[in-house]
Parts: sequence; structure tokens; C-alpha cells
Amino acid sequence: MLKIVLENITKAFGKAIAVKNFNLAIEDGDFVTLLGPSGCGKTTTLRMIAGLETPTEGTITIDGKKVFSSKESIDISPDKRDVGFIFQNYALWPHMTVEQNIGFGLENLKWPKDKIASRVKELLAMLKIEGYQKRYPAELSGGQQQRVAIARTLATGPRVLLMDEPLSNLDAKLRTEMRAELKRLHKETGATFIYVTHDQLEAMTLSTKVCLLKDGELQQYESPLAVYHEPANTFVANFVGSPAMNFLLGQGQNINLDQVKIETDGLDMIFTPVSGSVSIRPHQEVIVGIRPEYIAITQESSVQASIYSALPSGMETILKLQVGNHILSSVVFGYMDYQLDSKVNIKFTGDHCALFDKASGNNIATGILELI
Amino acid sequence: MRFANRIKYYFRKPHNVILVVLAITLVFLTLLPLAALIRDTFIVHPSEIMTVRGAKVNDFTLFHWRKVFFDGTKSYKLFYEPLWNTLKVSLFSSILAIIIGGSFAWLITRTNICFKSFISVVFVFPYIMPSWTLAMAWLNFFRNRLIGGAPGLFTAITGIPTANWFAYGLFPTSVVLGLHYSPFAYILIGGILRNMDANLEEAALILKSSRAKIITRINLPIIMPAILSTFLLVFSSSMSAFAVPAFLGTPVRFQVLTTQLYRTLNGLNPGYGYIMAVVMIVIGLAILAMNQWYLGKRKSFVTVTGKSSNFSLIRFKKSKIPLSVIALLFVVAIAILPLVTFVIESFIMAPGDYSFSNFTTQFWVGKGREDIGGGEPGILLNKYLYMAFWNSLKLSLIVAIVVGIVGGLAGYAIVRGRGTKIASLVNSLAFFPYLLPSMAFGAIYLSMFAKPIGFLPSLYGTFFLLVLIGSVKYLPFASRAGINAMLQLSGEIEEAAIIMGVPWWKRMMKILFPIQKSSFLSGFLLPFISCMRELSLFVLLITPANRVLTTLLFQYNEKGWNQYANGINLLIIIVVLLINLAINKITGASIDKGIGS
Repeated sequence: MLKIVLENITKAFGKAIAVKNFNLAIEDGDFVTLLGPSGCGKTTTLRMIAGLETPTEGTITIDGKKVFSSKESIDISPDKRDVGFIFQNYALWPHMTVEQNIGFGLENLKWPKDKIASRVKELLAMLKIEGYQKRYPAELSGGQQQRVAIARTLATGPRVLLMDEPLSNLDAKLRTEMRAELKRLHKETGATFIYVTHDQLEAMTLSTKVCLLKDGELQQYESPLAVYHEPANTFVANFVGSPAMNFLLGQGQNINLDQVKIETDGLDMIFTPVSGSVSIRPHQEVIVGIRPEYIAITQESSVQASIYSALPSGMETILKLQVGNHILSSVVFGYMDYQLDSKVNIKFTGDHCALFDKASGNNIATGILELI
Repeated sequence: MRFANRIKYYFRKPHNVILVVLAITLVFLTLLPLAALIRDTFIVHPSEIMTVRGAKVNDFTLFHWRKVFFDGTKSYKLFYEPLWNTLKVSLFSSILAIIIGGSFAWLITRTNICFKSFISVVFVFPYIMPSWTLAMAWLNFFRNRLIGGAPGLFTAITGIPTANWFAYGLFPTSVVLGLHYSPFAYILIGGILRNMDANLEEAALILKSSRAKIITRINLPIIMPAILSTFLLVFSSSMSAFAVPAFLGTPVRFQVLTTQLYRTLNGLNPGYGYIMAVVMIVIGLAILAMNQWYLGKRKSFVTVTGKSSNFSLIRFKKSKIPLSVIALLFVVAIAILPLVTFVIESFIMAPGDYSFSNFTTQFWVGKGREDIGGGEPGILLNKYLYMAFWNSLKLSLIVAIVVGIVGGLAGYAIVRGRGTKIASLVNSLAFFPYLLPSMAFGAIYLSMFAKPIGFLPSLYGTFFLLVLIGSVKYLPFASRAGINAMLQLSGEIEEAAIIMGVPWWKRMMKILFPIQKSSFLSGFLLPFISCMRELSLFVLLITPANRVLTTLLFQYNEKGWNQYANGINLLIIIVVLLINLAINKITGASIDKGIGS
């Protein structure tokens, strides 16, 4: 079992701390994304796993072998860690042709020429770039360069593939296409993928597990669905999902044993947790989080909202609704063109609405919200 | 009518006006002199009437060509040997400059050695200082009894006499020029290394390449274009260097083309000199052509750059301290030690005697004494020195201002008119003076402006001629800086102002210049410094009335008044360094911005 374990990793650049006491265990065959805004320490973490950056403190183990330990002063150099790395800007060598780029790693492993040639051919086919082997990187499109970079990394057959925002330099259409390719590649190679991105959609669609980072600290490490439906705190809730989750600030108090009554600015509601009970202090400051798809337009409700804006895109329509002093976003399926300022009735649906503590930002419970 | 309209539209755009004016002026100031030079190789000059039998002045003759190329041993002594020496010196100094400058660039940009900022500041000193600085320092250290007088510091300290080949001739000339131009290599190669994405090396490292392999297979090929440009620059600069071979070669009669040029033009056979000037220009053009051909051949050289924020340095462990100390000592030896020797040498009464009782302030503040230096008073009391100092400063300042403005305008017009024939013509013409060896350039202007042409009176002996030649010679620096500055600005920035009806001069002064201030100012700084320490360009054109510091120094040195020469050199260096520092601090402009194109 190939397992990658990071224990108590801290990385400081002078006085600035990039990664703070970070722990992570990655199982064999996982596709883990490190997700977070820029400057959160995700790229630094990835580079520390590869050995391109030296942690200030902590231990990194790959496949049972300690590759870094500050206590035992172990620091195995990147070339001995048996990992592949794909850089954000591909880092293709401009003075080598496509086949020279792909074959370079094999050359370092002292493979015979004919075997290198056949392996390169195999990779060209796998990544659908046959016919480009004699070209220089500058003569390729961005998408092709990306494929060459992947081929170069895969050539030596690493069991761990580290990727640093590999799709961020591509246009939107190519990015979608490459996402699908990467997911297939993960399956075909059976390797462990660790993938850095700031694009939550990429993290959601690709990975088996998402690791969210903020200011060098781990926020949540779970499957994409868990991260989406049970965000650990307001940061995660806000970062994942598009359009972003709606947040309403209010005061809560326990009523009826395990329910909470929440008063926000002109909009009151009852929260029922899905599992167990929830207890909060009287008048505790809370934040209610409702994903846009759980705000439904329906005649069944008496709560009225006016259309602030409607953005129909064909498949779905994104609405901004004014309710009291709040503006909420909602997503409805299909093409709905509303008159601005027309009135509709809304209600909250589903059992994945979240209740956060305002002071800490932490998730108190998820459950059902009812407008009253 | 239509044609007239088209002309009117054409000239409504300011950059077209600039291009046309520059094209005409530059043809007059660079191409015409070249034609005049070639003509001069075929005619009889007044001083040659005795040698070319039965000829009158200005007669057509092939005499010079025959003598220079096809006269057996005489041609060999006159031309082929100096040519061969020139090529050797240029080749060795280019290689040395690339090795030293390249190594330092790599150490500074790619490793974790200490004292980085100190080293990178001081390493550029040898270029800022006059080229003969190191040559004089070399003599101060290593001169032996061959030239008479006392041996240098090295022999005084160790008691070991230096060999002639070590003290004079090919070896020291190549080493000194190589050291003097290694900042070129440092700036050009360092510029690419600094911008080169560290990911390129990391990618190779992860694919299990050794350090050595990363350098040979990744770094070297990528910096190849910079190495080639360095080679072009250093080779042509060394070829046209005059002071260094004059200082170090003369004692052993080691002649190169420039020293021969000086001898023949100042002597009885200017015709020979003009031919040598032509040869030097042809070599310069050939190197440029080779460079262009090589760069054009491999389009793949375009470096795929990205953000290179992730700097992973090569971490020396045990060797870090020794390497840092060696690097530090080296820059101190080439940049600071020479200054110390100038101080010492300028305070010594009898050369070669470094005992305390021999120290004197005679050469700085002493009154003239009949028995020393022909009765010249100390440097600080010498009115000729003040006159030369004032001339140097005035000349450099005027040249810098003229060149800075013309270069800025040229950059603007060339970039705005990009793709048109006239823009590329002006671009080439503005770069052309760079390829003309200074001494040859001086020779051309001497021959062309010695007599009135057109509405211009004879300019020989005037200060204006010095300004003119300085401005044309240093235009390449400023026009490069101007082009680079303009290329970084999108046209939309100016168009936004055009739409609002801002007049052209206001756009230049209020928008374009302020945005790229430091680049444009580099276009002033480099000509200023170059002019301040220029010798070979002016040496043929100077008359006693308009002597500058460098020619004064050269005269003192020729007379063997070593202390004065050392003292004046110290003064030049201090002025240049101070001004460089001041401009750098005030405006952020620096030498490397001007060269780093």
C-alpha cells in the first residue's frame, strides 16, 4: 500500500508562515486535491512533498519511507522520491523537441534508445499528440503543451503524480476537456494523484478527497460531497459551490427541545437539525447558510421576494432575490425570464442547510430550514 | 493633389516625422562617413606625397591596399600580425568574460552563496571604470624592469621578478579586457538566468538528472543566445579597445589593429590606417551577421517564461563558506584593489619604493618642481587638469542629454512605426555606430570634418565635433533603452490620451516618459559614463584647447609620469562611481537596465 503521510508539517519563509502544523494522510490510489485561495500554502505543501521545498518542521513519509524528518534530519532529494510533478506553466524545455522532452527522464534512467523510442510513442498515443514529436514547445498550442508535460511526467511511470494547477493556463473549453482526460488517466495509471487548484469546480469534479486550506491551516479533508453538504465552517461553505452559498446573520435560541429559532434582519426561521439535537446559548450570534439550489420559487409559501435580477443561461437561471433587507441568490432549472422587480414566493428546501457559530465560524449542525 | 494629401497624412503622425528626420540625419552621420572612409583608402593624403611616388594629393591610388595586403614581410608586420593579435586578444577575452561573468551570474541567481548583494554591485565596477583601470593596476602590480624604473608591488613584496609574457603583451591584455567586459556577460546571462523559470530545472531534477546534467542540458542551451550576444559584444569591444593594448602591449611591441591605427593615422601613412578601420568594421559586421544567422536558425530558442516566483536555490552545504569567500576575494581583487594601488602609486615619490619615507603629497598638492614631471604642479593645483575635468564633464553631460533625448524619440518612433521599411532602416542606422570601432570612427570623422562640407565649416578642433561624435557613437545605448521602454508600453496607453485630444509633446512628457522613467534614464546614464571614460573615440580629435581627462591621462602616461596618471585615473573613477551611484539612488536607473536588452 502506497501511503503518503504528512505529520505536523510547518513551513516558514522568514517570518511569514506558509503552512502551519499540517497533518494529512493520503491513501494509495487517491485523487486528492489541495484547494484554497492563492497564498493559502497549497503549492508549498505540494512542493514539500516533492522535495522542492524544505519544511521547517515535521515529517513526510512516502510508501513507509521517511523522506523528510526535521527531528532525524532526513531530507531525501527530489530525484530519489519517485514522484512525478506537473508544473503550472508546464516547464517544458524550450530547446528540446516534444520527443526529447518526453524521453529525458528515461534517458536519466539509462534506458536503451530503442526502448525509449517505443515508450515515447506509447505516450504520444495515450495523450493523443502523435505527429507532434519533432516540434518544439513554442510551436505547440497551450493544450498540446499541457499534454506533453503530462506525457513527460508519466513516462517514467511514477506511482505518485503531483500536479500544481495544471489546467489554469488553458481556456475554459480545453480545461473541461482535460479534466475528463485527467480523470481517465487516474483510473488507467492507478497512480496516486495530488492536485493543487484554486478552482473549486475542478476539485469537486475530479477528486476522491478534497483538502481545504486557508492561511496555511487545514480546514476540512473529506470527500467532495461531504465538503459540499457538510462544510466544516463558513470559509469552506463559502469557497465551495457556485454561485456561492447565501449567508444570513442572525440571533438564535433553542425552542421545542431540538429546534432553533433564528431571527435575522426581517426574516425569521426555524432550524431543525437532521441528526441529534443542537444546543446553543440564548441570543447566540449565528450564521445561516443556504445553497442557492435550496431556495425554491413556489406558490406554497407566503414569504414574498422581489426579483432583483435574473440571469438565464439556458440550462439554468440564476436569480438574485430581494427578501427584506437581504439579497439571496437562487438557481432554478430551465430558462426563466422574470420581469425585474416582479414578486415571487420562496421557501427553503432540502436538509442540507447549515448553521454556523458566528464567532468561530464553525458548523454547528446541518438540517432543515423553515421560513416563518 | 492626392499625393500631396497622402504626404500630409503621413506627416501628421509625429513618429513619421521623427523617422524621416532621423533617417536623413543618420545617413549623413553614419553612412556618409563610411563612404568617405572607403574613399580615403584609395586616395593620396598630404603626408603621403613622399611615399607614393609622383602623385598629387587626392589622386586615386591602390598604393595603400597593395602595401597593407600584398607586401610580404612588411605587410605582415604592418597588418597581418596586428590583425592576428587582435583576433587572439578578442577571442581570449570573450571566452574569459563569458566564463567569469557566466559563473558569477550563476552563483548569484542560482545558488545560496553569501554576500550576494555586495558581489553583484561590485562585480559591475570594472565596466563602470575606464578600461585601462585594470591595465594600470596590472602594471602597478606586475611591471618589471623591462620598461626601466622600478618593478611593481608584486616584485616589491615577494622579490620574484615577473616574466615578460606575464607582465606585457597578449596574456595581460586578454586577461584585463576579459575582466573588464565580464560584467557584460554577467548582466546578459544573469538577466536570462534570473528570468528563467526555476521550474525548468526542477522538472529535470524530479526526472532524476544530476546537477551537472541540469547545467549542461538545461541551463546552458537556454542561455546560449545570451552567451552569443555576450560574445558579439565582448569580441567587438575588445577588438576596438585601444588603451589596454597601448598600456600593456607597447613595452614588448605587441601591436593590435587599434594601436597600429593610432600610429599610422598620427604618422605618415593615414591611408593604411583607413584600410585597417575598414577591416575592423567588416569583422564587426561579420560577427553580427553570424549572430543573427544563428539566432534566426533556431526559432525554438524563445524561452517559455512563466512566473518564476518559486526560486529553488542550489544549496551548497560544506562548500558554501569557502565559495562565498573566494567569490568575494575575487571581486575585491578586480574592483577594489586597483583603486588602492592608484592611491598608493599617486603618493609615492620614487616609483617602486614602498617604504613610508618615500610617500609624498607632491603629485596631489605640490607646487611644480623642475626635477619632477617637467615642472607640472600637483593634480589639485593644475589648471590643465581643471580645464580637462570641466571639458569632460561638459562633454559627457551634453552628449548624455542629446543622446538620451534622441534615443528616446528614436525608440518611440521605431516602435510606433514597427513593420515599416523606414523604421527598420532607422533601427539599423541607430545601432550601426555600435559596430564601428571607436578609433576607426574617430578616424572617419577626422577625415570627413577636417574640411568644410556643405553648410558646415571645418569642425576639426571644435568642441562641437566631440559632442557630435559622442552622440552618434552612444546613440545605440539610448535607442536600445528607448525601444525596450516603448515595447513594454501598450499602444493603447497613448491612444487613450489621443482620444482625449492630448497633444503629442504632452503625451510624451506626461504619460510615456513618466511611466518608463527609469528605462529612459538608463538611456542617459550609460552614454554619460561611457563618455566620461572614453579615450579611443576622442584621442584623434582632441586639440590642446579641448583636452578631456582621459586624453590628459594618456599624455601623462605616455610621458611616463606615472603618479599623475594614477591620480587622474582615481579622479575619473571616483566621479563616475559617484554619479552612477547618485543617479541610481535618485531615479532607480542603472547600468544593467541599459545593457540588458
